[in-house]
Amino acid sequence: MKLMIAAQHNSSLTRRLSEQYLLFGLSGLFCFTVTAIYLSWCGSLLNSIPAAVGIPLGLLLFGSFVLRRTSRWHENIERQLHRFANSGNHSVAELRPLPATDSFAAGWNQLLARVQEHSAWNGVERRLSEANHTQQAKRWEAVFQNLTDGIAICDSDGRIIQLNRSFATLLKRADSKSLVGIDILDLLSDQADEASQERIGGLINNHATQVVEIQRSNDLAQGVWRLSRITQTGDSCNPTDTIWTLRDVTQQKLAEKAREQFVFTATHELRTPLANIRAYSETLSLANDISVEQQQSFYNTINNEATRLARFVDELLSISQMEAGAITIQKHEVQLERLLDEILASQRPLANEKKQSFDFSIAPKLPKVLADKDKLAAAMTNLVSNAIKYTPEGGKVTVRVDSDSARVLFMVEDSGIGISAEDLPKLCGKFFRSSDERVQAMVGTGLGLAFTQEVARLHGGNVSIRSQLNQGSCFTLELPIR
Amino acid sequence: MSETKRVLVAEDNVVLGDVLRFNLQRSGFAVTLARNGTEALRLAESQPFDILVTDYEMPGIDGEELCNRVRNELKLDAIRIVMCSAKGLELDREEIMARLSIEAILYKPFSIRELTTLLENLVRHASPRREQLV
Repeated sequence: MKLMIAAQHNSSLTRRLSEQYLLFGLSGLFCFTVTAIYLSWCGSLLNSIPAAVGIPLGLLLFGSFVLRRTSRWHENIERQLHRFANSGNHSVAELRPLPATDSFAAGWNQLLARVQEHSAWNGVERRLSEANHTQQAKRWEAVFQNLTDGIAICDSDGRIIQLNRSFATLLKRADSKSLVGIDILDLLSDQADEASQERIGGLINNHATQVVEIQRSNDLAQGVWRLSRITQTGDSCNPTDTIWTLRDVTQQKLAEKAREQFVFTATHELRTPLANIRAYSETLSLANDISVEQQQSFYNTINNEATRLARFVDELLSISQMEAGAITIQKHEVQLERLLDEILASQRPLANEKKQSFDFSIAPKLPKVLADKDKLAAAMTNLVSNAIKYTPEGGKVTVRVDSDSARVLFMVEDSGIGISAEDLPKLCGKFFRSSDERVQAMVGTGLGLAFTQEVARLHGGNVSIRSQLNQGSCFTLELPIR
Repeated sequence: MSETKRVLVAEDNVVLGDVLRFNLQRSGFAVTLARNGTEALRLAESQPFDILVTDYEMPGIDGEELCNRVRNELKLDAIRIVMCSAKGLELDREEIMARLSIEAILYKPFSIRELTTLLENLVRHASPRREQLV
């Protein structure tokens, strides 16, 4: 801007040059003509030729010096621009400011300062962006390494080029580098059961994006993986590369299986009383010659079966509440003695039926507790009925209730089939049922203990289990007083 | 009916077993009740029966195992078998019926009348003929 203003104040270079050129040229010519005429007048033209030529020549020489002075800064800039254009790196740093103070030089100097400043900023920006890029790459690398899914990139022959830690960990290899270069399908086949090997084999001859499930053995708990192959890898990879992801879905599969098992159990549990109700009511309607006593006994049976069905439906309801995490408790002051009497009275006949010795010892003075009476009763009943259920005929079930200043302990000990160390940690999981055939022979939803545990938790207490397989178990429900 | 047909009922559900016996006796069958698969197998070994009605789910020897042993161990080819099950779709019905020569599989809750009619038909058609009832 300043440069333009400066240019407006001074006349242009061409104009100044032509003005000066004309001035000195014309004055040289004028001097020469005047000197020539004067000398011819004096008659000494021939004697004074050197002066006649010398003076205008000197004038012209002085003129050219002035012209050169006028254009020296322009020449300087021209030279610099030539050098700039011809140099390979076009570095702005090579341009020099002019050592003058007039507005023309000031303009150039300011322009140069501006350009150099700009270029310096550019440099800083470039260095920052490079640093940033490196940082970003590092961040992506960290993401890649720390994903819970295993990821591997393979070449067109299916050999691993790059993989993350999870991939190696899932395959139970400590060192991920040792897997580079290995055929991924071979690697996975080695760890899969037969059916899964077949599914993996199916991936060899097609190249589509595909998902297969890999089971490591017949036992689901040994591990189930979901393997995906992605063939459309986008621009940033080699187009023949494939990306493989491996996800551990064992827990999901186990939960699905448990749920499936539950549906079967529930269906069976519903069908059994229904079958009885239908059979008895149909019999009553078909046979009109049966005695009143017999009729009465049939009606009783129907009633009992309907009660059983209703109880099971209630159970289902509380299960679905628990599933939704919607069990709520309403705490009131509860007289434990009375509650315990009711529970033991309801369970004693079941123990008697199995000829079990059924003992209980209740501390003489139990504190009142703040609890949800119905839920607590259901939880305690569960522990007692489980003990009776999983203790063979003639066994022993003991219920002990004790308290100290802070808590009440409800302990149920039995001489039953016990729980293996392997099953123990899973026992309170929803739908879990042991694969022990003595457990499988009995009907159960796999939700009783989960319910009991949840009720204890909601009261601020917990359930602890001690057990030895084939020796017996001891379940302790701990309940804080306040 | 010229002679009383002997029916062995294997049912661990006591209540249902009782009502089956009540109805089948009324229809003119001689009914023997077994409370589990082991007891049923022992009875089938020691006495002749014309028809076996068995539950599918039973503790110990279950219905499928019972039929298998009746056919393959005891070689009772002539006995007609009807199975009852509280299982639904998870049972490969056709396969089991063909493999163990079972006349019919009834799903609980089934109709008593359906069962008695089925058994009466089995007795009437002495030659083995599959009944397909759902």
